Amino acid sequence: MRLKILKIIIICCFVILVLGLGHLQIVRGSFYESLGIHNCIRVVPVEPNRGRIFDRNGIVLADTQVSFDVMVVPQEIKDQEKIFSFLSKTLGVEKKKLLGLYQKRKLASFAPVTIAEDIARDQAIVLEENKFRYSGLLVEVRSKRRYPWGEIGAHVLGYVGRVSPERAEQFKNYGYTIEGMTGYSGLEEYYDSFLRGKEGGVQIEVNNRGQQVRLLGMKVAAPGQDITTTLDLRIQQVAQNLLAGERGVVVVMNLDSGEILGMVSAPSFDPNAFLSSASSKQRASYFTNVDAVLLNRAIRGQYPPGSVFKIPIAIAALHTKKLTPRTSFLCNGFYTLGNRVFRCSHAHGVQDFTQAIAHSCNVYFFHTGLILGPKIIEEYARLFGLGALTNIDLPYEEKGNIPRSDLFAKRRWSKGDTLNFSIGQGDLLVTPIQLLKMMAVVARDGKDILPSVIQFIGPSPVRREATLRTLDIPKMYFDKVKVGMRGAVADEAGTARVLLRDDVVVFGKTGTAQSSGNKPHHAWFVGFCPQAKTRIVFCVFLENGGSSYNACRVAADLLKEMKLQDIL
Amino acid sequence: MFYNLKKVIWTTMIAIIVFGLIILYSASSQSTRVNHQVFYNQLLFSGLGLLAIFFLSRVDYRKYYDLAYVFYGINIFLLIGIFLFGYYALGAKRWIEFFGFNFQPSEFMKFSLILALARYFADHKPRVSAHRSWARPAFFPEFGIPLLMTLVPTLLIFKQPDLGTALLILGIFFVVVFVAGASVKYLASFLGICVLATPVLWHMMKSYQKDRLMVFLNPNIDPLGAGYTIIQSKIAIGSGQFFGKGWLAGTQNQLNFLPERHTDFIFSVIGEEWGFMGGMALLACFCLLIFASLRVVEQAKDTFGYLAGVGFVTIFALQVVINIGMVLGLCPIVGITLPLISYGRSSFLVFVFMFGFLINVGKKNKLL
Repeated sequence: MRLKILKIIIICCFVILVLGLGHLQIVRGSFYESLGIHNCIRVVPVEPNRGRIFDRNGIVLADTQVSFDVMVVPQEIKDQEKIFSFLSKTLGVEKKKLLGLYQKRKLASFAPVTIAEDIARDQAIVLEENKFRYSGLLVEVRSKRRYPWGEIGAHVLGYVGRVSPERAEQFKNYGYTIEGMTGYSGLEEYYDSFLRGKEGGVQIEVNNRGQQVRLLGMKVAAPGQDITTTLDLRIQQVAQNLLAGERGVVVVMNLDSGEILGMVSAPSFDPNAFLSSASSKQRASYFTNVDAVLLNRAIRGQYPPGSVFKIPIAIAALHTKKLTPRTSFLCNGFYTLGNRVFRCSHAHGVQDFTQAIAHSCNVYFFHTGLILGPKIIEEYARLFGLGALTNIDLPYEEKGNIPRSDLFAKRRWSKGDTLNFSIGQGDLLVTPIQLLKMMAVVARDGKDILPSVIQFIGPSPVRREATLRTLDIPKMYFDKVKVGMRGAVADEAGTARVLLRDDVVVFGKTGTAQSSGNKPHHAWFVGFCPQAKTRIVFCVFLENGGSSYNACRVAADLLKEMKLQDIL
Repeated sequence: MFYNLKKVIWTTMIAIIVFGLIILYSASSQSTRVNHQVFYNQLLFSGLGLLAIFFLSRVDYRKYYDLAYVFYGINIFLLIGIFLFGYYALGAKRWIEFFGFNFQPSEFMKFSLILALARYFADHKPRVSAHRSWARPAFFPEFGIPLLMTLVPTLLIFKQPDLGTALLILGIFFVVVFVAGASVKYLASFLGICVLATPVLWHMMKSYQKDRLMVFLNPNIDPLGAGYTIIQSKIAIGSGQFFGKGWLAGTQNQLNFLPERHTDFIFSVIGEEWGFMGGMALLACFCLLIFASLRVVEQAKDTFGYLAGVGFVTIFALQVVINIGMVLGLCPIVGITLPLISYGRSSFLVFVFMFGFLINVGKKNKLL
C-alpha cells in the first residue's frame, strides 16, 4: 500500500521532468536557440584603412601603415619566465623592463596587455612563428596612421584618435563606435566622413573565453577615400623653418582660386604622438603647453590687425567720397585729442593718400577715421569679411570681433576709441585668415574669394558651394589703394622695403599691433604678388614679434625661397 | 515475465551506462576544460563496475544484514575522519584519501544508512501496521532511533558542506521509515519541524549555498556568477530542441560554455546534442530500470531485503529526479550526480553495490 504511494510519487516526478524538458526544448526551444547563437557568435569589427592625404604634387602627408603590437594575455600565460625571456631576446629589450611594463599595465586577467608597440616586421614574424610555443602571447596587426613629415603642416592635417564617447553618441547613426578611429581638428576632422571609410566585420564563432574557433563570414571593410589638398609641401617646409622658435602664422593662398598653398602655425606639434602610448607624456604636454601648440593660429588666433586695417578704411574713404586721392594731411609725428596724445611712428610731413598707405602714417588715418566715423569703418570692415568666418574647410574657425554699431551710440564710445579703431587697435580682433582674405578681395578689385584646403576627394575634384559676390566698388579706388601698397614695398621710405625684388612685384601692407599686457607688439605683413607665375596672396604674422619689420623679413625670405624653388 | 525482469534490468543498466559514455566522450572531446582522460577513466570504470555487479549479485544479500551496523559505524567514523584527514576541493571538505584512492565517504553513507535502517526495522517491526486500531504507536522504537541514526551523518555531511547529499539522506530516511510502516503522525510532525527549522538552516548555510538558492529563484540575479551555470545549462538544453544538434555538435558543450558538464551537468549535454528525443529516451530507460527494480524488491523474502531494496531504488530515483530537475532549472542546484552517467568514482561505486544487492534479492526470491 505504502509502496504504491511511493510509486505514484516517482511517476509524478518523472511526469514533471518530461513536462519541464518539453517546455524547455519544444515550447521555448527557438528562444533558447537564439540565445545559444548569441552566446557563441560574435561580430568583430574590422577597421577600414583610412584614406591618405596628399599635397598638391602627390606627396603623401598622411597615410596608414601596418603596425605590429606585442600583447600578452595574463590568464593564458603558463610560464611567465619563459615567455618574457623569449620576448626580451627577440625584441632586444631588457627582461626587467618588459616585466615592469607588464606589471604596470596589467588591468585584469582577461585583458591583453600591450608589451611593445610598432615592432619591426621581421621581429613580428619571429614572434608569430613561435606563438604556439608560448601560451598567452599575441601579435596584433593594426593599421596605424602615419604622418611622415611630423610637425610640418600638422595644424592643417589634424590628428586621429579613438572616438570620444560624446562623438560616438552624436554620430552613432553614421556608424561611429567607441572602438573606431576618428579625426580630431584639421582636415582629419573636417573630411572625416570621407577619410574613414566603412567599417567591415567578421562573424566568428567563439568559445567561452571569446577566442575564435571558426570564421563564419566576413564583410570587407571599404577603405576611406584619399584626399588631395591644395597644400604645397615645399612651401610648408619653408614656412615651418622660417617660423622656427617663433609663435606665428604663415599662410599662402592662390589669388585666383582661393587654394591655400601653405598654412603653418607655429609652434607646431607632432600628430604621430597621438598614436602610440609611448608618447603619452609628449601628448599631455601639448595640452598644457603655455604656447598652445595645438591651436591653429591661422584660423583660431584672434589678434588686433594694426595698420593692415588701414586698407579697408582707405577704400571706405574713397568710396564714400569723404576723401579724394589728392587729400593730404600734415603729420608731425603725433595727434592730440584733448589732453591725450596719439603717436605716429615718426613725423612724416605732408602725406597724400597713397603715401599715407605706403608709409603707414597714423596721423593721416586719425584724420580719415574721424571724418568717416566708426559706423562707416565698421561697415567696410564687415564688407571685406572681417569679423566673420571665411568658411575655409577647416574646423573650429574663429570669428574675431568688430565693435558693433549699437556700441557707438552709447557714451562709452569716445573719439579716442575712433582713433584707435582707425589704426586697427582697441576691441578689434581678426584672424590671420580673415586678413588674408581681405587682402585677396582688395587685390581682386572687390571680387570675393573662398579659401579652400581641398582639391580632390578620391579622383573627383571638389567644388565647394559658394556664391561669390563682387563688391560694388569701382576698380579705380582699388587701384589707388594698390598704388599705396606697392609704395610700401617700392618707395624709399616704404614700410616693407625689404620685400623689394627685381623678379617679383610685391604689394602689401605692414601692421604693428599693440598686444595686451606689456608684451612686445604683434607684427603683420599681408601682401600679394599679382604678376607672378602663380598669383599669390600671403600673410605673415608674428605673435609678440616686435616691429612689423620682422614680419617683412620673414615674408622676404618666404618669397626668396619660393622663387628659388620655382613656385612663383 | 519474471525471467525477463533480469534481462530488463541488465539491458537498461548497460544501455544507460553506454549512453553515458557516448555523452562523456562528447563532453570531453575538446579536452579544454574537461580532459579527454575523463572518458577513458570512466570507460575502464564502467567495465570494472559491470563486472563487479555480476560478482556482487552472487553474494548472499543477507550477509549485508550481518554487516549493516559495521558498515554504518565505519562510515560514521570516516565522516568524522574527513574533518581530521580530509582535503578541500571546490570549496568543501568532502574527499578522503584511502590507499591512494580519493573517495567521498558521504556517497557511501547513502548505502550504509539504508542497510542500517533496513536492519533496524527488520529487527523492530512497527506495530502500527498489525494493530492499527488500538495500539499507541511507540515513538522511540519506531521513529526516534532511526531518526537519530539519520541525523548524525546528516549533520556531519551538512557540515562538509554538502547540502545536496545531506538532503538526500533525509529523503532516504523519510521513504524507508514510511515504507517500513511507521506512524504518519510522526513523519508529518517531523516534516513540520523541518519546515519551521528552515530559517535556522538558512542562517547556518554557507554564502555560496544561499547564493545558489537565490539564483534558483531568479537566475538573472548574477548571470556571470552563481547564475552562470544554470543559465548556460538552460540555453544548452533549450537550444537542443526536438532533435538536438547532433553528437559532438553542441555549441554550448563544444565551445566550453557549460561548466561541470562531465559531472553534475551532464544532462545538459544530452539535452543539447540529442534533443527532446534523447532526453526522453534516457528518462524512459531510468523509469524502466526503477520500476523493474521495484518489482523485484516487492517480492523480497524478508523485511531487510525489502526495505533496503526500496531504499536503494528510492535513492536512485531521487538522484535522477533532482539532478535532471536542477539542470532544467526546476529545483536549486545541489551537488547531486546523475546515476550511472555522471563522471565520478565514488558515486558510480555506490550504485555498483546497490545493483549487486538488488539483483541478488531477485535471485533469492527466484525472480531473477
